[in-house]
Amino acid sequence: MSRRVVISGLGTVGPWGADRAGLMAALTAGAAPLTPFGPAVGRLSGGRDGVDATPLALPPHARWAGVVDGSCLAPWVPGREARRMSRPSRFAVAAARAALADADFAVPDGGLDDLGVILSTAYGPAAVTEELLAQILLDGPEAASPFLFAESVANAPAAQVARLTGARGANLTITQREAGALIAVRRAADAIAAERSERMFAGVADEVIPLLQALFDRFGELAPGDGGDGEVGPVARPFDRRRNGLVTAEGATVLLLEDEGACAARGGRALARVAGGGEAFDATAPRCGWGTGSESLAGALRRTLARAGLRPEDVDLVIAGASGSRAGDRVEALTLRAAWRVAGDGSAPLPPVVAPRGALGALGGGQLAAAVLLAERWWSSEAIGPPDAPFTPDPELALVPHIGPLDDPSDRPGRAPGAPRILVQMLSSGGTASWLVLEALPKGAKWSDRPGAQRNEGDAE
Amino acid sequence: MTRSARQISITGLGAVSAWGWGTAPLWEGLCSGRTAIRPFDRFPAAEQRTHLAAQAPPPPDCLADALTRWADSAGSAGWDEGSLADRFALAAAREALAGAHPLPPDATGVYFGGSTAGMFESEEVFDRLLRGDADVDLAPLVSQPLDNPAAAVARALGVRGPVVTVSSACASGTQALGLALDALRAGEVEVALVGGADSLCRLTYSGFNALRVVDPEACRPFRDGRAGMSLGEGAGILVLETEERIAERRRRGEAVRVRALLRGVGNSCDAHHMTAPRPDGLGAALATRRALADAGADPDDVVFLNAHGTGTPLNDASEWRGFAQVFGPRAPSLLLTATKASVGHLLGSSGALEAVATVLCLENGVVHPTPGDGAIDPETPAGLVRGAPAPLPRLDSDLHAGRHLAVSTSFGFGGANAAAVFQAPMGAAAGGAGGEESA
Repeated sequence: MSRRVVISGLGTVGPWGADRAGLMAALTAGAAPLTPFGPAVGRLSGGRDGVDATPLALPPHARWAGVVDGSCLAPWVPGREARRMSRPSRFAVAAARAALADADFAVPDGGLDDLGVILSTAYGPAAVTEELLAQILLDGPEAASPFLFAESVANAPAAQVARLTGARGANLTITQREAGALIAVRRAADAIAAERSERMFAGVADEVIPLLQALFDRFGELAPGDGGDGEVGPVARPFDRRRNGLVTAEGATVLLLEDEGACAARGGRALARVAGGGEAFDATAPRCGWGTGSESLAGALRRTLARAGLRPEDVDLVIAGASGSRAGDRVEALTLRAAWRVAGDGSAPLPPVVAPRGALGALGGGQLAAAVLLAERWWSSEAIGPPDAPFTPDPELALVPHIGPLDDPSDRPGRAPGAPRILVQMLSSGGTASWLVLEALPKGAKWSDRPGAQRNEGDAE
Repeated sequence: MTRSARQISITGLGAVSAWGWGTAPLWEGLCSGRTAIRPFDRFPAAEQRTHLAAQAPPPPDCLADALTRWADSAGSAGWDEGSLADRFALAAAREALAGAHPLPPDATGVYFGGSTAGMFESEEVFDRLLRGDADVDLAPLVSQPLDNPAAAVARALGVRGPVVTVSSACASGTQALGLALDALRAGEVEVALVGGADSLCRLTYSGFNALRVVDPEACRPFRDGRAGMSLGEGAGILVLETEERIAERRRRGEAVRVRALLRGVGNSCDAHHMTAPRPDGLGAALATRRALADAGADPDDVVFLNAHGTGTPLNDASEWRGFAQVFGPRAPSLLLTATKASVGHLLGSSGALEAVATVLCLENGVVHPTPGDGAIDPETPAGLVRGAPAPLPRLDSDLHAGRHLAVSTSFGFGGANAAAVFQAPMGAAAGGAGGEESA
């Protein structure tokens, strides 16, 4: 990269609410709130008659997900705007505006040519698509709503962010399932580094609907509820021998990325620096599931680090994409172990590994938000938890997620000097892998509250 | 703006369109001056407001057999299990890669743009579910995620490098070219398969009709009285390679045909409206200027335009205003074509198929005509090529090839704009067919 790129704003929306405190609380507690679906959006998913009327026949455990409470969006998306948007668009706009506030950066009234948007979505505006199909297939094509059609496209959230913030730079939507979020951030950083843009929004927005739950369940990917009777929500156990599936959550995470010099010149403050990224594909993976290509993925991971001028032993924290999936967590752990296996040695220890998707849910950008938050708060004493979380090691994976505060890595033998480095990894169903390398600020940086940071209440209509 | 000096060549093309399976039928159809937009039967359309589309024919039996064997031998199983869009993608990839094997698995990337993926197949499941059929198997819905066509190609080829799908509505295919160009320039990959595949489906057909932007007749871009777009389906794939890899292949004795160069890609956003373009064309102009800057080129270097040219009154007017800002008084004299009038609008993959068409034009030294009746709209006084292919200006020598550029534009819902700049290959730039080929 020719220019250094920093993350100067973090906006996040999820079952934890629309603020960073809620996100950090979920990380500390090891779980975000799960709620059973009530009356759902879309005819297939229950509609006016509620989820019990759906032909999807969701089992009890599939009725639980991390769902965004719409009231938390009100400070960021006034009602008159929200009415013209799908839920993922609302999530994205709320997160983008929160990121601007967090960065204390105001877009001029006329908009900016050099402010771009790269968002990702795994499954797009699913509820709107479902309702549009219901109109077309049941009521006839003439019943199709132009509004629903416009909001059904995958890039509707990115377009709404641009329209409502005046971002006239590049506008791309990456649709590479869960791997897309890291790709979006990496590509946005590349655009700034290559001097094609001064600032970029980058992130992810996704929603969870009962049909998506049914599809995950069809392929055995959802964690069953502890009690099996729907009274107790399911639990995801990343890397645990007892892991038996993931828990979904919806939401959005949008970052504001800037050229480091431009950020400093306006008095902005960096939360983290984007030091690199990369992508790879596991051609052994089926369309829905994970493959066995951990060795080749490890090679791609090492090349990603090398492009950033790093070796595996220079990484101080891995934020894994593990979600509790049996096959997904396995290939992820084996990829990490292979990447850290020094040629002819085999003894290189892994740095601390955390798997926040177990706590924050498998969609909606919780992992990305957690990565930035942990980079920002590396030197705080806040702990990832909970400390008493039961964990049963899986001998094949040989990987125990880190619990507790993050240590000062500077004295670790063999490590290249510098600020703490975080590797974020995502291996998605279908075979795509993506990585992002972040750098926390050096020790001694002051972490103070900023007046523009995410609001919880305020100027909503 | 910094720009890598590494030259990126296009060495392979593949296509599926309403003209048939392959670039040969595509080029023949494009040059015929006729349109492949006609009544179709992909799904019942009697209740639709309009009744035309550019539907791909079934593959010839011999090709289907060959593709099945190819996909099976690669262990992809993509032909039997995949969606129609997956099959379009596999067929176009196989054609585009002819002669380019073996690929370096770790240094090959797949960059796609698309809009529908397996939606056509998913609609059957939705229909049964919506009618209360609780026994319907949801498995076909796995074809719906938009990354499937790119992943099917990557699996079939054993690709281990980046696989990235863009879905920024109708700008996607051209944006995918930009992502690939970045990766190739940076040396992250040596080879990239870039393109997209989309199939007709009820969702998009009904949706565009709901917006009242579909012409009841075949679309007529830049014509007076034009009344909207026409949908199409198919795939376009380009193989991009770095100069270092091409040199290495030639050292190994391989004949490498450089069919064109991809010089630059630019992006912008209208930030204006979810479905309508900015009337003043500023977004289109910004993307085109950025593409030229990325190419290190001047507007005066451009010899023809392959316009987004959907045929909707708003798009063509906005696009023309954008061209007028970039090319000034030269704009009306530039040769201009709109591939969509021949093969319909492939949505997310339209930029990919139009990139293929643009390269074929440069390679053959002619610009294919734009089918359609009626006079050119006086509000968009484009140098629209009509009736028969128009020869590109001849160059005195290959030294001027760098000033023999074509621009292809793509604009999408939500105001996403993208433009790509292509350069004629040496030799063909002087008006002759065929690109540089040497061992």
